[in-house]
Amino acid sequence: MRQILTDFTNLFHVDRLSLLLMGLVAFVAISIASFSIRYLKGDRRQKTFFVNLLALVTTVFMMVCADHILILLLSWAVSNTLLARLMLHKREWEAARQSSILAIKNFALGFVFLGAALAILYNVTGETSIQAMLAKSIESKWLIAASIFLLLAAMTQSALWPFHRWLTSSLNSPTPVSAIMHAGLVNGGGFLLARFAPILTGQPAILNVIFIVGIITALLGTLWKLMQSDIKRMLACSTMSQMGFMIAQCGLGLFPAAVAHLCWHGLFKSYLFLSSGSAAKEKRIDLDYPPSVKDFSLALIYGIIAACMFSLSTGKQILVMDTTLFLKFLAMIAGVQFALPIIRGNAKGKLLLALLGAIVAGSFYGFSVRLVESVLEPLGISMPQQLNVFHFFAAALLTVSWLAMMFARPSKQTANPEWLLKKYVQMLNASQPHPSTITAHRNKYQF
Amino acid sequence: METTEFMEMPTKSVTVNDRQQIDAAIAKSWSKIAPFWPLKNLIAVNPISGFEDLTFEDGLTNANAYFQQREMPVDLLHVNRESIKWLQAFFDDGQATIPMPLREKGFLRSTLMLLQFDQQIIGNDKQKIHWLKTLPDNPEAIVSETLSLLGIQYTDQQQFLTLMLTTLSGWAAHIQYRANWADAQDAKHPHPVTQTEYLAFRIVLTYLIWPNAKELLIWHRRAVEITDISSIYNNVVDNETTYRQALLKQLEAKQQVRKETRAEAQLVFCIDVRSEPFRRALESQGNYETFGFAGFFGLPVSIGNSVTGASYASCPVLLKPAYTVEEKPNCSHQSCDDGYKRLKGIKKLYQSLKYNFSTPFALVETLGLASGVWMSVRSLLPDNAASIQSAIRKSLAPDYSVTPDISSIPHRQQVSFGIGALKMMGLTENFAPLVVFCGHGSTTENNAYATALDCGACGGRHGAPNARILASILNDHEVRSEISKLGIAIPDDTIFLAAEHNTTTDEVEIYNEEMSDSFAAQVQALKQSLEFTRNENSLWRSRQMGVMTNEREASKATALRAKDWAQVRPEWGLARNASFIVGPRWLTKAINLEGRSFLHSYEWEKDIDSSSLTTILTAPMVVAQWINAQYFFSTLDNVAFGGGSKVTKNITGKIGIMQGNASDLMNGLPLQSVFKSDDEPYHNPIRLTVVVYAPKTKIGEIIMQQQILQKLFGNGWVHMICHDPKENLKYQLNRDLTWDHTNW
Repeated sequence: MRQILTDFTNLFHVDRLSLLLMGLVAFVAISIASFSIRYLKGDRRQKTFFVNLLALVTTVFMMVCADHILILLLSWAVSNTLLARLMLHKREWEAARQSSILAIKNFALGFVFLGAALAILYNVTGETSIQAMLAKSIESKWLIAASIFLLLAAMTQSALWPFHRWLTSSLNSPTPVSAIMHAGLVNGGGFLLARFAPILTGQPAILNVIFIVGIITALLGTLWKLMQSDIKRMLACSTMSQMGFMIAQCGLGLFPAAVAHLCWHGLFKSYLFLSSGSAAKEKRIDLDYPPSVKDFSLALIYGIIAACMFSLSTGKQILVMDTTLFLKFLAMIAGVQFALPIIRGNAKGKLLLALLGAIVAGSFYGFSVRLVESVLEPLGISMPQQLNVFHFFAAALLTVSWLAMMFARPSKQTANPEWLLKKYVQMLNASQPHPSTITAHRNKYQF
Repeated sequence: METTEFMEMPTKSVTVNDRQQIDAAIAKSWSKIAPFWPLKNLIAVNPISGFEDLTFEDGLTNANAYFQQREMPVDLLHVNRESIKWLQAFFDDGQATIPMPLREKGFLRSTLMLLQFDQQIIGNDKQKIHWLKTLPDNPEAIVSETLSLLGIQYTDQQQFLTLMLTTLSGWAAHIQYRANWADAQDAKHPHPVTQTEYLAFRIVLTYLIWPNAKELLIWHRRAVEITDISSIYNNVVDNETTYRQALLKQLEAKQQVRKETRAEAQLVFCIDVRSEPFRRALESQGNYETFGFAGFFGLPVSIGNSVTGASYASCPVLLKPAYTVEEKPNCSHQSCDDGYKRLKGIKKLYQSLKYNFSTPFALVETLGLASGVWMSVRSLLPDNAASIQSAIRKSLAPDYSVTPDISSIPHRQQVSFGIGALKMMGLTENFAPLVVFCGHGSTTENNAYATALDCGACGGRHGAPNARILASILNDHEVRSEISKLGIAIPDDTIFLAAEHNTTTDEVEIYNEEMSDSFAAQVQALKQSLEFTRNENSLWRSRQMGVMTNEREASKATALRAKDWAQVRPEWGLARNASFIVGPRWLTKAINLEGRSFLHSYEWEKDIDSSSLTTILTAPMVVAQWINAQYFFSTLDNVAFGGGSKVTKNITGKIGIMQGNASDLMNGLPLQSVFKSDDEPYHNPIRLTVVVYAPKTKIGEIIMQQQILQKLFGNGWVHMICHDPKENLKYQLNRDLTWDHTNW
């Protein structure tokens, strides 16, 4: 009996990554369950929802604790299937069915990718335990193939371009399902890469590929998010871009930072989904772009201060020429963007206020990241890389797109150039949900 | 094949006759479409008001054939998908940060220019692009040309255009709002649209995607042939008969003789059905007299906020506001202003980080922890969340009370509003020391349909501002002396107060209390009674919502629903509404009408020229019929005429609801507003029964003069019962506008 028990516990490996993610999922699930007691009152399938939710949480726990590759594969498959079932809440509704099918197809593909990766790793190492695999130093040509398959599995799971469509077509789900999904399984890609980080960190080329697909998705997702007219698709495109950023952080070798992003974004996004009924009340405030060069320059200084505070509070030196600089650079951009409205406002003592704000916000941001990083520290998966041309190029793209939103205002007098109109239509079309998941005839909707 | 069809039909010159024909066809097709208001002020409307020219049964039949078809030609689905995509983009009112370009050129021009680049619709078909580029400028001409390219016969044109509208009914309803019912803000919307432009857009898209769209006519013809509404209709009639018999029996049995002693207070409530149980409960607390009157108190005004600078119409949508009344804060203007700017500054900070490239990554990490904690508090402890939220808001921007600046209404007009309101509500003598004008509004969290629960008579807004204005007018000495010259003597020891009944929590807030120092004791007593009333009505309402509670806890239960962000049924709104009773309060005072009746005060003896009754029947009664019809059809078919379940709703463009990824604009009430559960309706879909306590000859004369009444009564959209005080008999109006004596 004891033997069986030991065998069973050997199938699992509970480390700080598992605990952290279980904590996140449990916390979100409890909030959402409590929300859904009232939100789904009177709904024919409320009970089924709770049963599936409980099963989903259980299998996600299994997934993040799995050590045996078959347990990982199994829990990966089952939890995704449960998610697809939750998405199909209104079973008579054809569009919802199609959303669910689209997700299942994507997850099936991801399952094949993950299966392939694990099979290769098993063949190369002869181990069925993930921890044992990671402990071995692997010298094999097959490692690249395994890494690529891992990346592909992560991309399907986290809705990275070009595997994003299931996510942007998933909004036929009930609101609480979207909330649990965006804080839960969609982050599976980040988890997977963090779990297999020791294999990836030794392969700079793979990391570059991971970084590039991440950045492409981050930019594309942000662009689409900014173009959407409905709240839920906007949130979905936004998640897509945040997933891109998370994966890009993995590509920088900063796996703990990626997990930090996973956690905080998950909480943020599930909150936004639950509060999406208030979207019509949120009045957009004119940000009055472009700012004057003087204000912008001042904000730039505050941004640099914010970035310094960010570095200090994450416990890193400010000027180190490795990939952590990339995150500091983004903190600076955010700092500028934060300081700018205060500087341009008319509050009393606004310059001091902006300075204080920049210091507090920068530090708080840093502490948030630090909190998660320190939890994961013993895992030793923070592997900052040398900066290379891709990182600089990505930083340039992020900067240009950010500045363009602020400074490139289409003037009313000049006509929009044709290429821009063409691009707009192209992007609008690209960001549409899959046609079969749209309710083109309202009477096809069923509650 | 498609491409050759494109070039087959040479464009022929359009004659004047053709043009008139096309204009008429366009106008007639639009006459079938009821408007639908945006989320900022949801107004109840009969979704098939376009068929009120027909009998109710024919209306149902048409509604079924046009709006309730389960199947639709596959190609039309494609057309709809593409229509929805462009409509979402064009009519976005502040969701997208990168909005659709060219919108200020108007709906048709902007969409036609962008369609040229839409590979999803035209692929790389040069002929289609060429055709798009060479379309005439004039939208009527585009409609006409495309109709002939589609091979639609002259005689079928109107039918075809109607189908272009009804096959995407929610969006058509929104355009109808923009074209004919837009408020001051939307009337000068920077992105203009006209009815013809919308039709031109739809038909061009249809031609591009489905050149054989002529088949749609056959599809519809078949739909008409198989439509059979008789069982639905019979069911409705049975339910109505049951209700009407019970109602009339109650009216028969429990008439009270009116008291002549001076009441401690008189309270005027909106005719809204939610006032009835509250009034009944209040009257049982003491010597209180209550009245029913349209909740905008007869004031066609816009309300301006001097701090935010915003303004909105606060009167029925049938009226255009004549005056703008600014509400001035009672605290120092500076401190209110500061608070407002502080809140706005914080929102700006958040939006500036959220709606840009590269910055949201840091935003989510910084706010993640707080969002998570806040999410759990709001879900697990909604009561505490609300207190925390209001404490934070108050620390940033303290609440302040306001006083309306009525100087924008000329003195003469003030007198006329004052006397008009008193006469209409039948309050012309026996004034109590306290007269309270009690508007109403709702409080809900995270509710896209919030304004559907507010006062319809105030254009889907809260009623307090109008109550404050009327109280201010009638407290003015000069106005009072003018009024007394005109025959209504208001005693010096009468004061007018303004209040608002929160229909979600049953709280009543009294506003201009400070004016009533010498009445402190009376006001205190009234407040006490209102508190008891709140408990009593909360208990009744909680039971209606299936909440088990007791009198002590009931008001907590209703208050919680108002604060809970997960609550999909914060209150029942006007569900179960069934009748509109015009008469003095003593007629209904002793009867439990179960919150199903609109009550309008009326005393026929005083209405010698019938002008009051004419107004009541042509304005409040019509509004009540709109409400009744909206609840009726949202319950009858919540998919075709309602909003569907809140569980999967998605707000588009900040103006309306879609289901899931994308759908037609779901006009109408959500499932949770009219259904207890997915399977069990709460609202009982029956037509409005109007009961008027006045001689039948008087009512008959009014009907003969008013076309709208002939239409509604003659076509069977509303039942009319006359409770004749002279003969003490009840008569039912037949469709041929003759009266039948009823024995109920």
